[in-house]
Amino acid sequence: MSKTELYNVHLERIKKAIALEKTDRVPVIPVGNSFCANHLGVSLADFAMNNELAADTMLKSFSSLGDIDGMQQPVFSPYLLSYQWLSKVRIPGIDLPKDVPWQVAEAEMMTVDDYDVIINKGYNTFFKDFLKNRLDNLEEKVNPVFAYTPQAIENCKKEGLVTLSPIVCCIPYEVFCGGRTMVKFMRDLFRLSDKVQAAMDIAMDDIVESTRQVLRAMKPTGAWVGGWRGASEFLSPKVWNRFEWPYFKRMVEVVLEENVIPVLHIDSNWERDLEKFLELPKGKCIFSSDHATNIYKVKEVLGDHMCIMGDVPAALTSLGTPDEVYNYSTKLINEIGPKGFILSSGCDIPFNAKPENVKAMIAAVTDK
Amino acid sequence: MEKINLVDALSELDEDLVVKGVKSQLAENVPAIEILGQLQKGMEKVGKFYEEGEYYLSELIMSADIFSSVADLLKANMAQGAELETHGTIVLGTVKDDIHDIGKNIVATILGCNGYKVVDVGVDVPIEKFVEAVKEHKPQVVGMCCLLTTAFDAMKDTVAAVKAENSAVKILIGGGPCDNNVAKYCSADYYCKTAYDAVTLMEGQCKA
Ligand code: B12
Repeated sequence: MSKTELYNVHLERIKKAIALEKTDRVPVIPVGNSFCANHLGVSLADFAMNNELAADTMLKSFSSLGDIDGMQQPVFSPYLLSYQWLSKVRIPGIDLPKDVPWQVAEAEMMTVDDYDVIINKGYNTFFKDFLKNRLDNLEEKVNPVFAYTPQAIENCKKEGLVTLSPIVCCIPYEVFCGGRTMVKFMRDLFRLSDKVQAAMDIAMDDIVESTRQVLRAMKPTGAWVGGWRGASEFLSPKVWNRFEWPYFKRMVEVVLEENVIPVLHIDSNWERDLEKFLELPKGKCIFSSDHATNIYKVKEVLGDHMCIMGDVPAALTSLGTPDEVYNYSTKLINEIGPKGFILSSGCDIPFNAKPENVKAMIAAVTDK
Repeated sequence: MEKINLVDALSELDEDLVVKGVKSQLAENVPAIEILGQLQKGMEKVGKFYEEGEYYLSELIMSADIFSSVADLLKANMAQGAELETHGTIVLGTVKDDIHDIGKNIVATILGCNGYKVVDVGVDVPIEKFVEAVKEHKPQVVGMCCLLTTAFDAMKDTVAAVKAENSAVKILIGGGPCDNNVAKYCSADYYCKTAYDAVTLMEGQCKA
């Protein structure tokens, strides 16, 4: 089979899983970054600073561990974390020893007054200024990553691999929470609720518009719509229904309108609100959880409605044995799948996962 | 003027009312320690709401915030040396290499409100610092918070060092990716899924 044919087989399999149709086997699409560097002995300092090296390392690492259908993300740079969460990131080789994973340094980078700036001057103006003046010209650091993404996708394709979700969409809750810090932001939600909402509404329109432009220019297969600090487990229903869900839902709809597959990247525990996801169209999205939400509960509530992806836990790939990982993965394939299921790790495969464990995860779908 | 019910005001997160209530009781010369007792009851009620699934992290953070801002007001009025009686002591910290502190702070607040003395040693805590704190404060329990798989080994080493210093002390671990297997891996005594598990376990440990 040529690589192009192989690519088409992979893509077809993924699309069928999303449409909740029968597939010849469950697709497997890993995601991880620092793990790949550790696996191939690339120093984290080099991986963090060299986009091409990072992309090549991820492709080589994952494709050497078994017959995967694709990767969730083709590029990585710690500066992307900075960009998503309006936070500084400590970089190995610069702020940290060479082989210590990068870290988001949560600090109050955005002030209460910034809500007014957003309301009065618009989000784009605020954001541009923030990147330039408070995040040390961050655009200069992230633009090369964005520019390299199409090439990285092409490189995966040449190996027959689908890049599932090269773009990450964040709603205002996540961005503000990152910039304000989680604790301060949660207080804002009580003490300044109307102002926060007004700023969110304005930010949302700007974010939606720029998301559409990026999706139109790049035409990716899918995009992450991420939920991290907006998880149900952190917020009472009243707060969640006001500040999280309406924006999250709208973002998913925008991605769909652009003919891109929304990959709902759901971290922490969202069990309480799973039924809300029934409001999203059937057979069009992927619900990708990180093991904090009980995946059996997800199956029970959303199994007939949405493809599920996950959720081999980080603690298992780092501490467990290949047999344990294999058995866990097989159980998922049989009980969450085989229809409407994609096997993956719960969120990122961690830095210190054992390569033989990742191999065992992939083998669980390909073993006959 | 009708007396403001501090227990309800705090448990309903009505900050203005709490501040007003505290101020008026201080003006009426109610001892600070007694007011603090009412506030602690309010926090216990918040804890109940949390356990019952009515309140979430957002409300815990908000209530802890109101509590600590009025506690500052009270401390200024507290008689020198007056301290609330405690049922037992815990040394609590986030293990080396890990800087997540939200969960740890909540555990500290909840245990504090339930009448335990909490020695908070902070985040990214070197092994020696845990050991020193155990030597100095002679706690019944040590709590370790860890949210990173890459810090599991640091936690394991910390457990070993603390046990070497004092083999009788019980060690609880908690935080996002931990579970019973991680507790076993680190040779900790118990895994706690929530901060309230710590209250239950502390009760057991401190009765003896
Ligand atoms: C907020 C957050 C951050 C904030 C932390 C802010 C702060 N001041 O703490 C910031 C942005 C700084 C951060 C940084 C990082 N984070 Co972080 N973070 C989170 C997040 C979203 C929430 C954690 C949290 O506060 N939860 C709320 C509290 C209340 O929950 P909790 O800590 O579990 O505590 C409760 C219980 O577990 C229990 N408990 C906890 N500890 C203890 C201890 C005892 C003794 C007891 C009895 C009970 C108990 O009681 C608490 C209340 O019930 C989690 C996601 C998640 N699912 O946990 C990721 C998460 C923990 N982070 C993660 C990662 C990878 C990181 C970074 C490495 C990311 C990066 N590359 O920059 C850095 C690490 C920096 C470092 N060296 O520590 C991963 C860890 C996964 C892994 N493989 O190890 C997670 C799981 C996200 C994910 N799914 O990938 N993070």
